[in-house]
Amino acid sequence: MAAFFELLTPEEVERTHEASLEVLESVGILAHNARAREILARHGCVVDDESGLVKLPGAVVEKYRSLAPGSFTFRGRDPRFDRTIPGDGPIVVTGSSAPNVVDPVTGVERRATSTDIADIAYLINELPGFDVFSISTLADDAPPGQLSLSRFYPALKNCLKPVRSNTPTMDDLRQVIELGQIIAGGTDAYRERPIINHHYCPMVSPLTMDVESTEAVMWLTEQRLPVYTTVVPNAGLTAPMTMMGCLVIANAEFLAITALQQMIAEGTPVIYAGLPTVADMRTGAYAPGAIETGMLLAGQAQLARHYDVPSGGYIGLTNAHANDAQSGFETGMNTLLGVAAGATLLNMGGLLSSLMAFDFAKCVIDNEIALMDKRVWRGLEFSDENLAVDEIAAAGPAGSYMGRRHTKARMRTTAVLPRLADRGMRPQWEDAGRPDIHSRALAEARRILAQANPAVWDDDLDAAIRARFPGMVAGDAIPLEEPPA
Amino acid sequence: MGDAEIFERLKQSMIEQDQDEVLAAVDDALAGGVEAKAIIDQGLLPGLNVIGEQFECEEIFLPELMQAALAFQAAMGVLEPKIREAGGAGPKKGRIVLGTVKGDLHSIGKNILKLLFETSGFEVWDLGIDVDLFKFLDKAKEVDADIIAMSALLTTTLIGQRDVIEALTEQGRRDKVKVMIGGGATTQAWADQIGADGWAATAYEAMTLATGLVAR
Repeated sequence: MAAFFELLTPEEVERTHEASLEVLESVGILAHNARAREILARHGCVVDDESGLVKLPGAVVEKYRSLAPGSFTFRGRDPRFDRTIPGDGPIVVTGSSAPNVVDPVTGVERRATSTDIADIAYLINELPGFDVFSISTLADDAPPGQLSLSRFYPALKNCLKPVRSNTPTMDDLRQVIELGQIIAGGTDAYRERPIINHHYCPMVSPLTMDVESTEAVMWLTEQRLPVYTTVVPNAGLTAPMTMMGCLVIANAEFLAITALQQMIAEGTPVIYAGLPTVADMRTGAYAPGAIETGMLLAGQAQLARHYDVPSGGYIGLTNAHANDAQSGFETGMNTLLGVAAGATLLNMGGLLSSLMAFDFAKCVIDNEIALMDKRVWRGLEFSDENLAVDEIAAAGPAGSYMGRRHTKARMRTTAVLPRLADRGMRPQWEDAGRPDIHSRALAEARRILAQANPAVWDDDLDAAIRARFPGMVAGDAIPLEEPPA
Repeated sequence: MGDAEIFERLKQSMIEQDQDEVLAAVDDALAGGVEAKAIIDQGLLPGLNVIGEQFECEEIFLPELMQAALAFQAAMGVLEPKIREAGGAGPKKGRIVLGTVKGDLHSIGKNILKLLFETSGFEVWDLGIDVDLFKFLDKAKEVDADIIAMSALLTTTLIGQRDVIEALTEQGRRDKVKVMIGGGATTQAWADQIGADGWAATAYEAMTLATGLVAR
């Protein structure tokens, strides 16, 4: 694209940046993690250990945040699927850690299992719109002590694309890294190609740094393993009830965690990722599907360009509980806004009910939205050749372009060819039993999952993993059952 | 000013969510010899009821409900000592131990709930955030709580709510206390699965739910 959609002038970006520095220096952050406080103190921040309050001088923040490099790389089991942003952007990452799944047979919401994760991993592996599989759900069938293993094992087993997720404790984190090392073929090989991409939300709005997630981010940064963070302010509840006040909170939080990471290891890759929202003041309801989320993320994209770091975040979420018009317009409008604003990471894919439930049909629909978003990014593809003056001359006035070689050579690439969006005539649709987008999408998920998954690793590797972690879930994708006739 | 006018002014000041005016009306009422208990029952609570009705039909929004609750609590700060002096402290509606579960540092929704619990007449022990399961159990035992109310926003910390219920059962005390859960990561289905006595989507619904739980 020649230019990005921008809501702020360069002067306003600068002023927002200054306001964030002012907040960090005069208000400060509450850092619950003692080791984080110690690192911040050692690098010039003013720490009150009794209250946990840390004030970050503007000069210190500026010094360290400017060390963050301009790109971030996600690695997968197959290097063909490695993605670096912003260069390979926009990349589409699924939304993660929903506790529930909408059962594809009954349509009833239930607790998600490791088998669901295996199915979803396979689906993401096959759907071309998705680049990174952020493990969509929890696994309710996890054996004791294997909460995270029961998510990462089925995810990695069934998907060659980069896998991303979080872990609730340091023990879980070490366990999943060991899993990654076995898959990679040893610790050295893993260091070379760390195929687990870690993500945490250590900043709890407003201006608070937690204990466990912060510890995980610090440890991974020390280990030079890939990790990035998301800031999640909620205007009216955890941020002021203005769009700009919400951006200032988000920006201050991004700067604080980024400075901490750079203090630990200069040049650590980061992503300016966010899930900024405005709470619904009528009830206090969480509203991640609201248009303000896309607008705020557009503002963050501008700030990220100011800092020369890649940006994006959770932007394709919806409050809707079914694949209805609300679900479509919330995901569609917001992700398009993100792409237009230059965000190169979009978290979307399969989640309904504001991050609470994964839906297989929603996932397939979001794949199609993702392909459209990526088409927008490609732009109008200006070139002298594409102006096609010779072709216009050859066809002549009143000529048809349909049967021409020029058209044939470009018919598969100029436009998105959706599998779900219906472009037939009404009688055809009526003859087919008036299928809605949900049933068409679910049928597509069924079609994909009915085939054997070529992404699954070989038996020797599987045996080695299962020997190290006895009692682990099966982690195999299974075809979706047909609905009762 | 007659009593009827005094009560009407108290009620109106609550409806307008104007803390300064509420406190001024309370002061004037006390100076005029109205008893503290009557100020609450015939002035402030009728106003608060209107606020509740207005909130339910979205005539007013959550920030306004909170301003009204804060004004009410400020007035109670003046009135409660007077009721105690007169030896007329009535029983509280119930005792609630409240907190955000282990590993979760989200406090804002819980704090709104605390305000509404107290405003509706409960006695609340707020254990804060990142609360260990034994802290819930020990405090509930210590204060003879009617309700344990637990919040979780992160889906990965949800199981802390189940742990508390299981521990209560193991200690043989499950029937001694009602358990209610809430927070962004929770659903009615989760509440049913772990055997909680109630779930609410919003702080306001949680307040109504708690009132129902202790009335049973």
